Amino acid sequence: MKSINLALILVLASAPLWARATNEELAEHPRWKALLHINEGTTWRYQGRSYIDDPEFFLHESGATDARAELEASIEQLRPAESEARCDFPARYRFLSQQLDWPDDGALSHCSDYQEWREAMPEERVALIFPASYLNSPSSMFGHTLLRIDRGNDEDGVWLSRAINFGATVQGQENSILYIYRGLFGGYPGYFSNVPYMNKIRDYAHLENRDMWEYQLNLTQGEREWLLAHLWELEDIEFDYLFLDENCSFRLLELIHLARPDSTLMDDFRFAEVPANTVRSLDRAGFIESVDYRPSKANELDALVDRLSASEQDLALALARDASVAEEEAFQALAPRSRNLVARAAYAHLRLQNREGERSQEVAQRGLALLRVVNRTPTVPDIDPQRPVSPEKGHGTKMLAAGGGMLGDRGFGELQARFSYHDWLDNPEGYLNGAAIEAFNARIRRTEGDDLTLEQLDVVNIKSLAPRNRFRKPVSWFVNGGLDRRFIGSKRHLTRHVQGGPGLAWEMGPVIPYAYAMARAENNSAHDVLVSTAAGARAGVLWYAESFQLGLEAEGLYYHNDDRRYRPSATLNVPVGRNHALRARIERDGGPDRAETEFHLSWRYYFD
Amino acid sequence: MRKTLLAAALVATSFGAQASAPGGSGCGWGNMLFEGSNGMPMHLLATLVNGTSGNRTFGITSGTNGCDTSGALSYNGENMLAQAGVMEEVAQDMAMGDGEALTALSVSMGIPAEERAHFKKTMHENFNTIFPSEDVTAEEVMGNIQTVMNKDKQLASLS
Repeated sequence: MKSINLALILVLASAPLWARATNEELAEHPRWKALLHINEGTTWRYQGRSYIDDPEFFLHESGATDARAELEASIEQLRPAESEARCDFPARYRFLSQQLDWPDDGALSHCSDYQEWREAMPEERVALIFPASYLNSPSSMFGHTLLRIDRGNDEDGVWLSRAINFGATVQGQENSILYIYRGLFGGYPGYFSNVPYMNKIRDYAHLENRDMWEYQLNLTQGEREWLLAHLWELEDIEFDYLFLDENCSFRLLELIHLARPDSTLMDDFRFAEVPANTVRSLDRAGFIESVDYRPSKANELDALVDRLSASEQDLALALARDASVAEEEAFQALAPRSRNLVARAAYAHLRLQNREGERSQEVAQRGLALLRVVNRTPTVPDIDPQRPVSPEKGHGTKMLAAGGGMLGDRGFGELQARFSYHDWLDNPEGYLNGAAIEAFNARIRRTEGDDLTLEQLDVVNIKSLAPRNRFRKPVSWFVNGGLDRRFIGSKRHLTRHVQGGPGLAWEMGPVIPYAYAMARAENNSAHDVLVSTAAGARAGVLWYAESFQLGLEAEGLYYHNDDRRYRPSATLNVPVGRNHALRARIERDGGPDRAETEFHLSWRYYFD
Repeated sequence: MRKTLLAAALVATSFGAQASAPGGSGCGWGNMLFEGSNGMPMHLLATLVNGTSGNRTFGITSGTNGCDTSGALSYNGENMLAQAGVMEEVAQDMAMGDGEALTALSVSMGIPAEERAHFKKTMHENFNTIFPSEDVTAEEVMGNIQTVMNKDKQLASLS
């Protein structure tokens, strides 16, 4: 009994020693590593050390590579009451004082700049913001992400919230090749910024016409405190900005991971940080509480136009051109409700048309006159655009496909791999109809009695259909560069090509007819010249039905040497759940000498 | 091999020489990547290098960036209206009687939540007084709002 008591006393006496971690253990603490932005194998560059090179961020000269040296230097400099270093590193101070049980000696009360900033900064809620793709700009499909910090009173809205953004800074004119090189391998400095969220609403929803998705995160008050204190530490700290992995989205993930270091966010290796995948990662790790949708100005206009009859639409256009139309019989004869909608559509149309460029006195005058008309009519509430499927619910961004078919009388098997992102017949949920963007899309084929051959390699393939209507007259476009195999004369040859052109598209319910003019430059082994040039046209129709997507298309090309090629095709895509699809395609490819018909059936699997 | 190089050259030349982003005119910092730039070279670049991100702002403590020098972390009505593009949004909301921009204005002016509906209604009814012309400045709009509030029994004490 006595010995048990003795053991108990020993245990109790030594408990504080056990509870307090050694420096070695502390340097390995997940939160310490997150505070120093140490790469634990999440991306390929700088593994095992801090992502940051900026000496301003470290208290020890080898702090970037030695977490323990930095810890010891931090303890030394943050330990004294009223130390200046505490004011530069409030989150580190918080960590060390908690872990090492530092006595309460005024903590950060002497840091007046920091206190003033914290006082002014909201802290009640944190949301991840994803401005989604916008019409006629398929590259925006990759999107952007930022954080929003709210004051938290729902009835106050979010216009006064703050936006936390990570972006690169490029100065002056840059050679494009150098630009890509530096973007991929480092060289552009990246910084965090803190701007009014209303400016971001203006930039994205109003100027660029992008829908914004707002994902409310379930960070607790303690977790938010970590995030804010650490943000202060990042003021003017330079990061490298890398387009592929260490980009805007990745840095936000790091911040969120710091707030909750036991989350699984950083567990997987992240080769390329696509914002939609960032949202998915947060969703999987249980961070997302709710999702809000903020439509772009263009979608707001469309929602208004949808409520108008054809004659009312004409009236809205006339009114947008000349506000005095409001005094005319045709407008006055409308019901008050219709007058309101027509005037609002006219104003929205005017704003949308003039959203860029210099301010025009005449347009400003017309705009105010239209608002006066709106002001005189009873407001029709709840004209909200229909909320589309949110982007993180879309199919995976990478794709593998296996299939086979017949070309003429010979069978073939084929494998396809696509690094990113979406083609316009893939399952459209979470994506924009009529937009396609593919990078590094390759097909390898084995034909009966033949060797393995490369059938196609798109380095880049972008197609954009922007439907035209009474209110908007955008020009669609496509561009494509890479390799493909086509009939030239009586044989199929691999061609290296660049092609593209402008086009027109319209929308009739779920059906989008379109036509492009196109130019093509190619290199092949059949023609005598190094580069063959061709002009032609492409026309087709897309049908987005409930359970399938159908595309019909015909393309004709006329070459500088009188060679001609044509390719009509029909493609049916049937999604099976979110990440699978069955695709059937029939096409006829060839020219005056020879043409063959190809049937092709494949199973597509989307992932990541 | 030569052909592959040629293909690469073909692709590369199509990027054109104008890859550098458009600028925030007058902003100290030249700016950013793909955001806000619509040219085709940008789309190509963006496809290849994962065109995310970009901004032309800077700093944690304030919103200063050389484009917008207000630098405020909080608003008092007038400095909110002075933000680019905000006045138009407030005007639109006032014309209709409600909206997020008008809500934000009332919050930044310190209008208590229970008075907000009345504030918005009053602004809606006095739209022509508050926005007398298209050349009105943020300062004048604030002055007009104060005048309207002073004439209103309920709002006079708040202005």
